[in-house]
Amino acid sequence: MFKVALKDILARKRRLVTTGLAIILGIAFLTGTQVLSGVLKDSIESLVGTAYEGFDAVVRSPEEQDLGFGQQIRSPIPEGLVQQVDQVSGVRKALGVVETTSAQLVGTNGKIVGSNFGPPTIVYNWLDDPQLQVGVLKEGHKPAEATEMVLDFTSATDAGYKLGDQVTVSAQTGSEKFTLVGLMGLGEDGTLAGGAKMMLFTTPTAQRLGQLPAEFNYIAVAAEEGTSQEVLANAIAAALPDTQVLTGAEFTTENQKSVSQFVDILSTFVSVFGYVALFVACFIIYNTFSILVAQRTRETALLRAIGAKRKQVLLSIVLEAVLVGLVASVLGLVGGVALAWVLKAFVGTLFTVQSGLPTLTASAIATAFIVGIGVTVLSGLVPAWRSTKVPPIAALSEVSVDRAGVSRSRIIWGTLFLLGGSALLALGLADAGPNPLVLFGLGAVLFLVSVAVILGPLIAAPFSRLLVWPFTRGTAITPRLAGENAARNPRRTAATAAALTIGVTLVTLIAVMASSIKASVESTVNSTISADFVINSSTFSIGTGIPTSAVVEARAVPGVALASPVRFAPFRLTDAYSQQQAAADPAKAQKNPLGAGDAAPPGEDTFMLGIEPQSYFEINDVGNTQGTPKDLTAGTFAVELKEADKHGWNVGDKVPVYFAKTGVQELILAMTFDQSSGGGSYLLPLETFEANTLALFNTDFIVYVKAEPGADLPAIRKQLDAIVADSPAISVQDLGEYADAQTAPFDTFLAVVYGLLGLAVIIALIGIANTLSLSVLERTRELGLLRAVGMSRKQLRHTVIGESMIIAVFGTAIGLIIGIIFSFALSVVISADSPGIFKYTLPVGQLVIITLVAALAGVLAALGPAWRASRLDVLKAVSSV
Amino acid sequence: MSSSVTQTAAAGSIEASKIYGEGDTEIRALDGVTVSFEQSRFTAIMGPSGSGKSTLMHCLAGLDRLSAGRVFIGDTYLDDLSESQLTELRRDKIGFVFQAFNLIPTLSAEENITLPMDLAGRKPNKEWMDTVIDTVGLRTRLDHRPSELSGGQQQRVAVARALASQPQIVFADEPTGNLDSRSGTDLLDFMRHAVSDLGQTIVMVTHDPSAAAHSDRVIFLADGKIRDEMIEPTADRVLDLMKQLGD
Repeated sequence: MFKVALKDILARKRRLVTTGLAIILGIAFLTGTQVLSGVLKDSIESLVGTAYEGFDAVVRSPEEQDLGFGQQIRSPIPEGLVQQVDQVSGVRKALGVVETTSAQLVGTNGKIVGSNFGPPTIVYNWLDDPQLQVGVLKEGHKPAEATEMVLDFTSATDAGYKLGDQVTVSAQTGSEKFTLVGLMGLGEDGTLAGGAKMMLFTTPTAQRLGQLPAEFNYIAVAAEEGTSQEVLANAIAAALPDTQVLTGAEFTTENQKSVSQFVDILSTFVSVFGYVALFVACFIIYNTFSILVAQRTRETALLRAIGAKRKQVLLSIVLEAVLVGLVASVLGLVGGVALAWVLKAFVGTLFTVQSGLPTLTASAIATAFIVGIGVTVLSGLVPAWRSTKVPPIAALSEVSVDRAGVSRSRIIWGTLFLLGGSALLALGLADAGPNPLVLFGLGAVLFLVSVAVILGPLIAAPFSRLLVWPFTRGTAITPRLAGENAARNPRRTAATAAALTIGVTLVTLIAVMASSIKASVESTVNSTISADFVINSSTFSIGTGIPTSAVVEARAVPGVALASPVRFAPFRLTDAYSQQQAAADPAKAQKNPLGAGDAAPPGEDTFMLGIEPQSYFEINDVGNTQGTPKDLTAGTFAVELKEADKHGWNVGDKVPVYFAKTGVQELILAMTFDQSSGGGSYLLPLETFEANTLALFNTDFIVYVKAEPGADLPAIRKQLDAIVADSPAISVQDLGEYADAQTAPFDTFLAVVYGLLGLAVIIALIGIANTLSLSVLERTRELGLLRAVGMSRKQLRHTVIGESMIIAVFGTAIGLIIGIIFSFALSVVISADSPGIFKYTLPVGQLVIITLVAALAGVLAALGPAWRASRLDVLKAVSSV
Repeated sequence: MSSSVTQTAAAGSIEASKIYGEGDTEIRALDGVTVSFEQSRFTAIMGPSGSGKSTLMHCLAGLDRLSAGRVFIGDTYLDDLSESQLTELRRDKIGFVFQAFNLIPTLSAEENITLPMDLAGRKPNKEWMDTVIDTVGLRTRLDHRPSELSGGQQQRVAVARALASQPQIVFADEPTGNLDSRSGTDLLDFMRHAVSDLGQTIVMVTHDPSAAAHSDRVIFLADGKIRDEMIEPTADRVLDLMKQLGD
């Protein structure tokens, strides 16, 4: 039987190429993402490792807040501590380190270098010790004067600077110029590119830029010859009990861990799309095998008639599947490496990654083979099982065309799946069970399978006929034939379309959610903020906000009625309720991007806004309040009513809160309000805010400006622009621009998601092309007849293309419907969470475009099969059996 | 024994040759055949397997091309036509009936009958359609799909389709080959009727003497050449002649 299987494959090379292609693409994507995340992890670990490899120990403050994504906010330490550390025995050298993200590099084009999603720009002070210095000088010399700086060579190239140039740096105090005197890098000789953008200054300049007067972020220590890192760390810890001491190795690991976290998120995100692609590929493989096996019913029956056992026939099909899966998996692995290489180049614009070809890991290879072969065999097994159930004689006499369509068991199973899927979706949305996301995903898969595969055939035929109905007026026979061809094998049509349905469902879901979020943001901004202008910072990095002088200057502009500053900082709630929450689910508390340091008491992390009560509530509509803005004095705070109810607070209560700077403080709840505008649930008057947060946070992240009635708005804007003209990261926006800016990062994300889903759609198109090729082959005789009685090649091509368009539009239509259902379900849940804010909005224009693109894609998929069909030799076709 | 080309010929060939392969493996399927088919006549082409009868018909019908010589339908020489002109000629001037698989399974009987005209974007002549449908006796079956019709009915639909566009000539390739004798006789009667009463021109390839007996004239082919011809044939005379030729 092995020989039979092998001969079958060789005899059907072209048919299997397309099946193989689907598996290859699916596996390639899966492997590619796996390989990529491995490469990223390695690169980042080694780069972070070499940056700090000279450190034998690190001394720092135990007070810390972790902002996630590698950004740690830790209380600085006083300069004087360096001297004390230096005197501990075993210390060769101790130097204070400034490491801060409070300044940005401005390129020669006047724009900030780097994006919000990329690695940070870090300000360091130059450490006068070759062992401790971060990185190595590649060219030039160290910064000796306050006006000199050193850049890492990649950033210098990106920004367009060379040695001797005047470099613009955007800091909180405005833009400054520095002379570029040196280029540095990582590794032995400074030729390795670092992950982050690094700017090095003299210690006083770095301290000024980092707003660390007579302070350092931490102390780097080099050991004397013969003193181990552990011994050194223990000695310092004993001498200075109020500090936190880490060995150099621990420090490096800690840094690597925080970066790896980000890489993990990135690779999980990409892997999801790998699995979507694979899921789509499954449909195509299954469908292709179904058609192949159906077309071979006669051959199978002949084998059975001459004495092959059912098991043997089954085995031959499984063998075929194994071989196809094996070959496709190998090719998929190769494709995966290529894909990883391409993705690496893309990610390389965000990070510096290791050069050279990505290498396969054993686990990536194992996954590829297990998934590739497993999926193919399972996909082949079901149709094989079905075909061997047909008694030999019945199969021999039957014309080998798969005509199965609608059966009762199909309706029953379809309905069961549909109900089960819906139930799981509902449970997932209702946040039930330990992992609602798994429930939601499982429910979504069941729902999709039931609608697309089990129930799809029920509607495929009527849908196909309905779709071509408007085109069949008069004597137009081509659309009629296309419609009938799509309708003749509803199961085949539905299964082929299903692959496209999955992609379109996801695209629709995301498009609807995106447009809803945009509409929600816009309506929230317009209905709750009554400012005329917003001074906004385009960077997220902590400490790169708007200089506090801007508010003062804005107030002085003629025609300005109000200018209201808002600040932002993380903090931790440590009241009884929050402690309970933290204890009940420590994993959840740790996952929060605002995890506090080890020394902090347990609680829930969140963020607060520092506001000026009088002006803030003039501009922001927060609905009904209990207490008035006047009550918000030093030592008090305001909270959204929903939060207050959750924690069981009433106006006048004392609430314990942990700050990185001042530790646990009892704040008095002076005011509650019904709705948060601008996203802040916790509002602290600036007096409370300033007293308790690090200097780093005491810059405005937004300033609302309201004009007097009838004021000359363009003139005001001109003057506001002038105030921030020095800082490229800061811009003046009207409310419309502000709303757009809020959702702008979202657009980048959407573009990436659409790109990744595009792959699933391409695989689906391969599926359509595959089915059409097989159908054309199956109908050779019929096509020959059509040509014989006078159908032109063009008409025949149009018939095949029409059929393809019907399948594509059918898949898209179902995808649109399911996507809209899913998005509506999600919106109901979101609305239940925060009533009145979420605006469900259908992006009609976008959905129409999606449908048109699908129809066009249908044309593309049909080009090959249509061309082949039109080139059939009429005589051979007519006389073929 | 070749007939001369006459003014009333619906179709014909002049020194038609068809050669497959080259050198030692060369096969002459047609070897200088000159023949004409008169209008409003029912002609049968007979001959043993490999005699070239199917090849002759395929070339006459524009499904295949000659190696040498010419074929014509009416006043059009097929050898000068492009592929798409040939397709249009088949659609507008020629009717086809094959041995089996004559119908598009997704179309109803009526749609199958009007298919060539629909492909041309022409409206069928209502009167003629009625005549044809009544002649083949399928009025009650027009909405049925081919799979719902018997083999005989399917072939009658095929004949109706071949006649529906009022072609210059109808080619039938073993139209009764897959039918039982009763249905076969019925079908031949319809074809006879179409020629005698409706004035159609039919050329039929067959190897069945009793089928040939329904025609006005039988042409005998062997080894790619015309060997004999018989006017007003009967089944017995045809059988006799075939025995002679076979010797």
